[in-house]
Amino acid sequence: MTERDVYRLPRERLGALVARLERDYRVLGPAPRGDTYAWEELRPGDPVSLDYPTTMLPLRALLAPQREVLFTFRRGDDGEVAFDPPADERPLALLGVHGCDLTGLRVLRAFHDSGTRDRLVTNRLDRAFIVGLACWVPCLGEAFCRDMGSLDNEIPADLYAWDIGDVLLVKVLTNRGRDVLTEVTPMEAATAEEVVTLRRRLRVRLEAFPQHLKFAPERLPIALEAAEGDLLWDANADRCLSCGRCNLVCPTCTCFDVTDASPLDGRTGVRVRTWTGCQVTGFSRVAGGHDFRPGRAQQLRYRIFRKGKYMPERYGMVGCTGCGRCPHHCPTRISIREIFRQVGGTA
Amino acid sequence: MVQNRMIPEPCRIYEAMQQTPREVHFVVEAPKREPFRPEPGQFVMISIPGIGEAPISLAALPGEGAAEGTFEMLIRRAGRLTNLITRLKPGDTMYVRGPFGRRVTWEKFEGSNLILIAGGLGLAPLRPFVQRSLLHRELFRRIDILVGARAPEEILFKEDLASWSARRDDVRVLVSVDAARSTWSGRIGVITTLFDEIDADVEDAYAFICGPPVMYRHCLRKLLGMGLYENHLWMTLERRMKCGIGLCGNCQMNGLYVCQEGPLFSYREVRHLKEAV
Repeated sequence: MTERDVYRLPRERLGALVARLERDYRVLGPAPRGDTYAWEELRPGDPVSLDYPTTMLPLRALLAPQREVLFTFRRGDDGEVAFDPPADERPLALLGVHGCDLTGLRVLRAFHDSGTRDRLVTNRLDRAFIVGLACWVPCLGEAFCRDMGSLDNEIPADLYAWDIGDVLLVKVLTNRGRDVLTEVTPMEAATAEEVVTLRRRLRVRLEAFPQHLKFAPERLPIALEAAEGDLLWDANADRCLSCGRCNLVCPTCTCFDVTDASPLDGRTGVRVRTWTGCQVTGFSRVAGGHDFRPGRAQQLRYRIFRKGKYMPERYGMVGCTGCGRCPHHCPTRISIREIFRQVGGTA
Repeated sequence: MVQNRMIPEPCRIYEAMQQTPREVHFVVEAPKREPFRPEPGQFVMISIPGIGEAPISLAALPGEGAAEGTFEMLIRRAGRLTNLITRLKPGDTMYVRGPFGRRVTWEKFEGSNLILIAGGLGLAPLRPFVQRSLLHRELFRRIDILVGARAPEEILFKEDLASWSARRDDVRVLVSVDAARSTWSGRIGVITTLFDEIDADVEDAYAFICGPPVMYRHCLRKLLGMGLYENHLWMTLERRMKCGIGLCGNCQMNGLYVCQEGPLFSYREVRHLKEAV
């Protein structure tokens, strides 16, 4: 790595960073919730802890929420209906985004930028201020972020931080990032000793994150295509409960259902989209009852193919970040990493 | 600010004609927010705010089968939304987004024989194909229209079938039902039994198929066996859809979004896809 544009942010200045961001953004950071972590709002003065393993829900929960109002409507006395798009929101500032979740945002961006899209998600992505954070130790045992190129991914962060102890070394990646950092620190370059420390820790980190796949992710589309008729899908699907948890915790799942909600008077209401997923029974069922993707093996194959084949072919990015959430939260431990490992072989 | 593509547009219902106990034929004002110039095979999203939204095939296009500034649909009562929509009357409003789907232009079909095949409700999406080919009759050679229904009382667009049949010099209409009482004097048998009566030169024929999911494999197999080219076999594929703009994912078929790349596909385009037909 080069240490150009890397500056010192003493830990005690984190509060100042939050206070600065709070002026323009709704600031969120990781916070413990139950036995996992979740993104929660930070207020000026709140303690800022950037030491967390991973959140259960991916960041898309903030950028493409589980329940999102598409519009509200009002039916007038003449019966005519007026529609209102959702109100403007405060832009988000996300403090301490790990590499896998940064990759998740990149994929979300690639997906929403393609074709004729609505702008709800891209607007949030455009306006969000993102502070990336390097990981030093693996979080979930099922993670394989290094294999998927997420471990050292810094895009689309505005600022990217390495926590090396008393001080964070912060790399400036965008003009917006530079403006904010300039306001909270005197922009002191990292010292030689700090740079050496950083380099040592990055070297040691590679041992903490072993590689699991013996091939590059670019080979996934070909490897999967060759395995389309594989019994592997049945073997894994035998354990699948169709609960859809893998869809919910995935940073790159994007599918939704659309429903209307209205009080009994029917005069006002909302049309909302809510997350759904390809592993949920009925996802591909049409009026009349025909299901175009019946059977768990086909559904599982579809999910893995979308991540490893369809998304790279369509959007130019592999749809798996290697975050390890789907196997970790799967009640029967179906593992996308193991499936990739098996279909990819040793080449 | 880009238009929120999920917000529908109010469109007045001009006519609502009960065709069978289950199906209502609507003539509706075309959306005006953007130019509404659909191609055969495209669809719209229809909704009632507070109830929901569903994809519906266009059954006639403005300025072709439908009057300029209007379009037509045949809506079957199949769920909560369509139960309510099929009760709407002329003067009522329905809410429309679209048209959606791939625009397949017709230059490549000109000069050829057309074989137009519909099963059941599939006659609704097929109707714009028939109407366009009859509107420009001189551009095509033989035209065969093959229609299947489960029973005589389920045959749709009977007036259309009669008027198309009346052009017996330049169009042939064959109708078959799967089963019927003895009062039915027409053909009995699944739709593929009609294919034996096609005598158009298959080298030069395009076929268009619209029907229930079960129909496609049988039709494709028979047409391929007759010698049609794979890229001359066109079909509209139905899928669950919640947005029409390639986002909701419900309609994905392998790597394709049916609402974007379809719903009209040639067999050659999808023959390698395990999730197609």
